[in-house]
Amino acid sequence: MAIKFAGEFEVKRNPEEVFGFLTDPNKFAPLLPGFQTMSVQDPTHFTVKVNVGVSYIKGAAEVKMELAQAENPTRAQYKGQGSVAGGGVSLTAGFDLAAADGGTKVAWQGEAQVFGRLTSVAGGLLQPLGKKNVQKLIDGLQAALKGSAGTMPSEAKTAEG
Amino acid sequence: MSPEGDKKNWVGKPLPRKEENRLLRGRGKFADDIKMREMLYLRFVRSPYAHAKIVSVDVSAAEAVPGVVCTLTGAEVAPQVQPFIEIAPDPGGKIKDYALAVSKVRYQGEPVAAVMAESPGIADDAAELVQVEYEALDPVVDAEEALKDASILHEEAGTNRVWNGVFEYGDVEKALKEAASVVSIDRLHFHRFSSTPLENNVVIAQWNPKDERIYYWCNNSFPSFAIQFLSAHLNVHIDRIRVETSDIGGSFGIKITSYPQMAVCALASKKAGGRPIKWVETRSEHITSSAHGNERTFRDTRVALDKDGVITAIASRHIDDCGAYPRYEPLGCVIWSQVFPGVYRFKNARIDFTQTVTNKCPVGPNRGYSRMQHLWFLERVVDICAHELGIPADEMRLRNYIRPEEFPYTTPNGCVYDSGNYPKMLQVAKGLIGWDDWKKKQAAARKEGHLIGLGIGTTLDSGTNNFGQSQIVNPGAPFSGNSQGANCKLDIYGEVVVAVGSCPQGQGHETTAAQVVADVLNIHPDLITVRTGFDTERNVHTGFSGTYASQFAVSGLSAVHGAAQKLKAEMKRLAAFVLETQEDDIEFGTGAQGPELRAKSTGKSINYWGLANIVNVNSAVLPVEMHDVTLNCRYIWRAPFKVPDKVRKYGNLTLTYASQLHIAVVEIDRDTFIPHILDYVAVDDCGTVINPPIVEGQVYGATAHGIGAALMESCVYDAVGNMLTSTFSDYTPITAVNMPKVKYGHIETPSPHSYSGAKGMGEGGAAPIHTISAALQDALFAEGIIVDDSFNNADSLFRAMVGKEIGQVGKLVKLERRAQ
Repeated sequence: MAIKFAGEFEVKRNPEEVFGFLTDPNKFAPLLPGFQTMSVQDPTHFTVKVNVGVSYIKGAAEVKMELAQAENPTRAQYKGQGSVAGGGVSLTAGFDLAAADGGTKVAWQGEAQVFGRLTSVAGGLLQPLGKKNVQKLIDGLQAALKGSAGTMPSEAKTAEG
Repeated sequence: MSPEGDKKNWVGKPLPRKEENRLLRGRGKFADDIKMREMLYLRFVRSPYAHAKIVSVDVSAAEAVPGVVCTLTGAEVAPQVQPFIEIAPDPGGKIKDYALAVSKVRYQGEPVAAVMAESPGIADDAAELVQVEYEALDPVVDAEEALKDASILHEEAGTNRVWNGVFEYGDVEKALKEAASVVSIDRLHFHRFSSTPLENNVVIAQWNPKDERIYYWCNNSFPSFAIQFLSAHLNVHIDRIRVETSDIGGSFGIKITSYPQMAVCALASKKAGGRPIKWVETRSEHITSSAHGNERTFRDTRVALDKDGVITAIASRHIDDCGAYPRYEPLGCVIWSQVFPGVYRFKNARIDFTQTVTNKCPVGPNRGYSRMQHLWFLERVVDICAHELGIPADEMRLRNYIRPEEFPYTTPNGCVYDSGNYPKMLQVAKGLIGWDDWKKKQAAARKEGHLIGLGIGTTLDSGTNNFGQSQIVNPGAPFSGNSQGANCKLDIYGEVVVAVGSCPQGQGHETTAAQVVADVLNIHPDLITVRTGFDTERNVHTGFSGTYASQFAVSGLSAVHGAAQKLKAEMKRLAAFVLETQEDDIEFGTGAQGPELRAKSTGKSINYWGLANIVNVNSAVLPVEMHDVTLNCRYIWRAPFKVPDKVRKYGNLTLTYASQLHIAVVEIDRDTFIPHILDYVAVDDCGTVINPPIVEGQVYGATAHGIGAALMESCVYDAVGNMLTSTFSDYTPITAVNMPKVKYGHIETPSPHSYSGAKGMGEGGAAPIHTISAALQDALFAEGIIVDDSFNNADSLFRAMVGKEIGQVGKLVKLERRAQ
């Protein structure tokens, strides 16, 4: 089951600052919804443990993340793969940065593939859950990047592939 | 003493099932009822991915759990065994199939490791701790995509194609050229579904270190096939494998392919020092990982018809999806051709048949195996042509049916249909359902906007395979013919005991075998004990023994009949000696001291105890010339088959052809799109009926299975190979609540190919799937919709009627009329 998501927002920080934030696992990973712990293997590889739950099905997911692309200050992309509730998840999340109106426009897009029995047991709930969690992540990013200049409103869209 | 008269005192009678007393009181003995000292419980760790490399398997956390005795992984198992036998020639023959995935997984639910523990709960919990690291690969879930080989499941085969062959007979191109009209159908699709036995798969295995034998207690439904695979796989002489089955709560063919799990249980027992291992499959495991029925896509179909709507030729391309591993396949690539023309008379045909693997659960011989897909295709072709040409569905069939006077009928590919009368079945079915009245009601209802359709499904249940057809898919396959064994004896105290190499799952073998023997010996069936279940140690099995393919009434009962006849001959000879008379003076019956043989000329008699006593424990009274009398008679029945012509793909592939004709009246709710069955008739012809209630029960069962498949049951996968219907919440098997009232009728056209005139039955040819598709199309054709899929629920009907996504006649079907 594929969940695709995309959107954009603007922040009053320059692209270098935004890029630096997004590519620092210590800053980026704690914003993941349900974040519990993280271990950093090297500057581009880290493992996060997050709590996940669909209705009464709750558990912890361990996701190995890789900063697969880092083109300062225009693009960052993460790839991840992990296990959850007897199943698996693989994801990509990319951020394209462009200078805009004294700040940075962040265009983000990604896709999560969910594997395993979760898709059967809770397949119908994964879309709204995915949308909710992506929104949380983006809201968290904006809040963290807000600084003194504030942010523009964000908008998240999800679509099933 | 009752006279020895009518040889059919019991065959044909509605004798209550002998099994009922035991089963309905909860006294059946099923595999899961077996508990053994020091038994361990096995839990599989299964892949969440449809296609992935296995990077690592870490069982250390699971093995550290108190109560866990050992674990097994694919990497550990592979060096100990041979890959399972592949029936296919290359490229399919190159596939390496192990019971636990070794380096990659190929379907969601594939076993990757096994955990053995002191209790099922501990095994479950520990299995959750096994860490498997995967590297996801591109999955292929669509058969036509799989054939592009963009992502290959089995690198050793080099392609996803398992098998390809062209079945061509007559002159197709000439018939197409000379046709008055040609109907082209772009694509039809037969969906993937399975069976829902009350009892899931169960295996108990013990690899006994004392005698180095493997003991199985299980519910596999084709044990003689399983032991052939297991023996080669485990490097164990086949005589060192003992398989016992007891009562089985349904199989429908799906349990034939449980041999991989049987292998794991044996290897686990070996590792655990010979402790017995029990594996009881969960329902979700059964739905996702046991076996599904074959999914099939029919492309580029062209149908030639004459000016009267008589089909003269069919050309088509069929693509069969066998899931991740072929296992019983590619037998399905030829088994469909047992019913090559269905019930129709066309002589020219070309079917280009290809089978492919995909990242889905492997298939197994699901009830109606391989033939129902083809029969559904033919029925769709007939109905689509009828609608295109404006010929009523019943009239279209009458113009195309094989005629009663043509039996035995040789099909274009050399199969011999033994008997049948399809027009009569249609007549009976139309009478039972009130066809003419329904046509009037339908016309009136349509004026009010109701969508009501009447559908006819005519189908075949071919029984008793000629395994020589395996040589059509693989000329090197060492199988041909068919046989079944039985033993009939007088035990020491004169009890009549029958043993058969079948493993019934509700078909009433105890009862029907007793009926046959009762007629031979002229005694009451209650005086006959029929051993239930299969046991290799009984020595009554052949390489074909098991319960599958609608054959027990022919193969099993012929073996029983043969064994009983041998016993009867020995009893008569012995009685003649004891009673000092001639054999033709001896009659069988029941007297004051129970079943006995009597000299008609003197009135002297000897009962069964007396005969058995002489042979077994008082043998000094026997003269030497009677020493060959054992009263313990084994008989092997062999079907009169020849090896088919492998090049022409020609020959008789099946011995008997039961037939079914169903009619359904279906209404589609315009608001909810839910199809409702308003009326339903099932007419069956299985030749001479041995036990009417058993036959009727099988008809109801097969009808329920087919209605479920047509409207409720579908194995749905998403684009990456997640099975979305892994529980009863989504895979919704039909229950009594969903069943319409079925009007039952039957005719009898006795088979000349079985001693009793009976034909194998029980699979039902999946008649409801064809019938409901036909009824839905009748309801929807005026709306410009063709029923192009065998599964039709409210969702798919909505997508066809409102979304216009599927089933649009203009896209699917083209009619070319030619000036004559």
